[in-house]
Amino acid sequence: MAEYFPSIQNVAYLAAAVLFILSLGGLASQETARRGNLYGLIGMLLAIGATIADDAVQAYELLIGCVVLGGVIGAALAARVVMTAMPQLVAILHSFVGLAAVLVGISTYLTSDGLTGTEHTVHLIEIWLGVLIGAITFTGSVIAWAKLRGSMSGRPWLIPGRHALNAVTVLVMIGMAVPFCQAHGTDGLTLLLIMTVLACWMGVHLVAAIGGADMPVVVSLLNSYSGWAAAAAGFMLQNDLLIITGALVGSSGAILSIIMCRAMNRSILNVVFGGFGTESGTTAPAPSDGGDQGTIFETDAATLAKGLKDAKKVLIVPGYGMAVARAQHVVKELTEMLRKSETEVHYAIHPVAGRLPGHMNVLLAEAGVPYDIVFEMDEVQDDLPGTDIVLVIGANDIVNPGAETDEHSPIYGMPVIQAWNAGTVVVFKRGMGSGYAGVQNPLFFLENTRMLFGDARDSLQAVVSALRG
Amino acid sequence: MVPHNQDYEGPRTADRGRVRELLFGGMMKLGIPLETYPGEMRVAATPSTVRKLVAQGFAVVVERGSGAGAKLGDLEFVAAGAELGGADDVWNCDVVVKVRPPSDAEAALLNEGALLISLLQPDVNTALVEAIATTGGSAIALDKIPRISRAQKMDVLSSMANIAGYRAVIEAAHAYKGFFGGQITAAGRTRPAQVLVLGAGVAGLAAIAAARGLGAEVRAFDVRPAVKDQVESLGARFLDLEYEEESGAGTGGYAKEMSEAFLAAERKLFMEQAREVDIIITTALIPGKPAPKLIEADMVKAMRPGSVIVDLAAEQGGNAAFTKADEVVDVGGVTIIGYTDLTSRLATHASQFFGTNVVNLLDDMGGANDFRIDHDDEAVRGALVLENGQMMWPPPAPEAPPPAPPVDELPKLATQEVPIAPADEGAEESEAQGSSGPWLGLLAGAVGFALIGTLPEGFIQHFTVFLLACFVGWHLVWEVTPALHTPLMSVTNAISGIIIVGGILQAASGSFPDSANPLATLAMALGGLAILVASINVAGGFLVTHRMLQMFRK
Repeated sequence: MAEYFPSIQNVAYLAAAVLFILSLGGLASQETARRGNLYGLIGMLLAIGATIADDAVQAYELLIGCVVLGGVIGAALAARVVMTAMPQLVAILHSFVGLAAVLVGISTYLTSDGLTGTEHTVHLIEIWLGVLIGAITFTGSVIAWAKLRGSMSGRPWLIPGRHALNAVTVLVMIGMAVPFCQAHGTDGLTLLLIMTVLACWMGVHLVAAIGGADMPVVVSLLNSYSGWAAAAAGFMLQNDLLIITGALVGSSGAILSIIMCRAMNRSILNVVFGGFGTESGTTAPAPSDGGDQGTIFETDAATLAKGLKDAKKVLIVPGYGMAVARAQHVVKELTEMLRKSETEVHYAIHPVAGRLPGHMNVLLAEAGVPYDIVFEMDEVQDDLPGTDIVLVIGANDIVNPGAETDEHSPIYGMPVIQAWNAGTVVVFKRGMGSGYAGVQNPLFFLENTRMLFGDARDSLQAVVSALRG
Repeated sequence: MVPHNQDYEGPRTADRGRVRELLFGGMMKLGIPLETYPGEMRVAATPSTVRKLVAQGFAVVVERGSGAGAKLGDLEFVAAGAELGGADDVWNCDVVVKVRPPSDAEAALLNEGALLISLLQPDVNTALVEAIATTGGSAIALDKIPRISRAQKMDVLSSMANIAGYRAVIEAAHAYKGFFGGQITAAGRTRPAQVLVLGAGVAGLAAIAAARGLGAEVRAFDVRPAVKDQVESLGARFLDLEYEEESGAGTGGYAKEMSEAFLAAERKLFMEQAREVDIIITTALIPGKPAPKLIEADMVKAMRPGSVIVDLAAEQGGNAAFTKADEVVDVGGVTIIGYTDLTSRLATHASQFFGTNVVNLLDDMGGANDFRIDHDDEAVRGALVLENGQMMWPPPAPEAPPPAPPVDELPKLATQEVPIAPADEGAEESEAQGSSGPWLGLLAGAVGFALIGTLPEGFIQHFTVFLLACFVGWHLVWEVTPALHTPLMSVTNAISGIIIVGGILQAASGSFPDSANPLATLAMALGGLAILVASINVAGGFLVTHRMLQMFRK
């Protein structure tokens, strides 16, 4: 039995890998997504079961205790989280993967023996890399979590000479790898721990330097890192299942980062190493036209309600402000009322709206907005001239016409929802503050734009009441 | 259910032996007479249904010239296996299949013990039924086939209503002096015609589909809110009637008041609509009663000159004021069409559908070889009016409540109403293709790397697996719909908890704590901690993904 066992375990690992692939494949559409999640769960149970059944595994008390405790904490977190807090949860879960990778890496180092020559060196490099990536993921995610939940300011925290500091840190970490690889037994432990601290520090200030609205990219990037960390752990332990899963997750995060960057017309390096305006040394550049751009037209809930009654086609563009005001349920109520009176209501989601890829979709789904009226940016552009009213709820930069026309604008070239092509644009906004990019939005001064100042939820509630009355 | 055998011996059942006696040449004969009703163009069989009847074992006799109205030649019937004959030959058959109810003279021709299958309206044509009864023959009224799902394939009323609804739109388009679909040309543009369909039964739905097919904008009204989904599925707008607020206040005589409030609201709605629309097609019928008057004189007058009303209820008095059965009237420029022969105006396909319904009925009755009138067959019993001269109508009340009217066979717009696709797939595809460029470079680099040959074999194997997994992940994730990017992140969170496997291998490979080996104990403790945090990921990731995915619904 014993000599056959490893092959049974390999088959279980293979099956688990296939199930994980099917799990990601399932997310291609809403219909198959739930099944996909189930596949993932089955794969995970299979993998854990096969590992526990290994003859080498003995300390069941420790094992089961840790699994149960962790499982309970995880389930409690997941069951209690509100959908607006989803970005925080995702970020903290990334940090756990990073932490686990660090722990597994150090633990592996403590027990590694029997390897010599090149194999030994390769093994040590694997550990070094695994711990490094894990540590950056761990602290970076913790900072992202703190920023997302508001315990830390969302503003970029820029220490002077940080680029040089980063470069030096990287060089030191590479340099330290050389004596680490030459050390015998576990003599390199000190070096490993110093490197871990350095990597942790790097994770902290890399993410601290990135502003709130770039969080979708950062979270995607950390998602990717957590995958690579798992893959690196797979290399250390020579475990293909870990490698495969890590690679899947790593690619997934990388793609999400690319999608987010494209949506902002910025490169990944620009997002990670340079916040808006940092090139010129100021954090908030003045509007390129400068000064007065014209007059704004205000409106009120009653007037808007009248307009909505006459409208045949309404498009809603939600942004992070909707999540902050927790206005998604009122938005849904409004949608239902309009749809009942035969008004066609669509939603347009900009890829970087919110603090997490797909964040708006989740909030709207939570409120019960049917997903077949929620569209992507590209799907609505051509319909906008035929749209009577666009409601911009807590969004700014993603509807800024300057991104298309103003070459000097920092967001020039970023694809935006062309709300201004519609009959009327109504912008729900707290005040005249500029968006994350610190750019003035010419949309607010257009003739067909009306501003509805105030808390988005209160304003929408007033519109709903006016429609009802 | 009574078992078959018991019933088969029963005295009411036409048994095979006796039927065979009546046969000429041992085969059961089936006759298709010429339709004599003025203006009736349909015929109860077409060459293709004759072929099926012959396959069922019937010797089919078709009266000369009976297919002329439907443009079906006698020779085509012969080619399909029928025999041609005169009226006497046809009425001499064991089964006679007709479209319209027979005239009294025709009824008298039916043989004793023979079976007539046609539209009959036994509750209206009582004298005719009595006349048939005196011949000692049997009769099945096709218009009384119960509307159960099993009998849909025999439901002549549905198939004819479908045709009438379609044809009503064609007649409207013919009388209307404008385009149905909007036009954008160098010579200017026109708006699509606005069509209102009243009554969303089979005919109404067919009319909606046909009008949408021609490009019109269609709205529909029906007193049954349940049909809203069907109306909307065809791309039409369903008009809601808002009257509850007013009726809710009433105290005494609630029902009457409510119905008055309802009617008032309905009138108001129709008046508004009459001002807006170009075409009205009315299909409201109440079985056994005169058609309800929906479009009143002032509404007709409110319509724009050039507008058209097609009244499918003309035979029952019409839904619109001024409707005259079988006539076209002009009221202040509004054309009101009251044709009652809409199905005859589409005689070829109407005959085809009618004939197919009959073939299905006869198949249900056993074909020629096992032919019998089975009282346990709900479909047959429901339509059976006479059996060997005995009155069988109305049938005993069915045991179960009647199921909902059939909806499966509603006409559907095949191409027009494709929902907007969730993503520009072409573009994404090319993005995915374009993005694999750097990966090809990476692969080439990896191959070069491996060629150096200094690396341990095990590492290269693992690295191969790693690269392949990256490829799979890369292609897989581009397919993920952007709406699900948050669930994607949380599920990848969950599966990256697979690092728990690493933790397990580190934590549990020995007894804990091992006082002899403090380093190993530390390694195990670290592994245990890794298990702890990774299990948070596994449990939390899958659970929260599940929660989110539960929320996505249409």
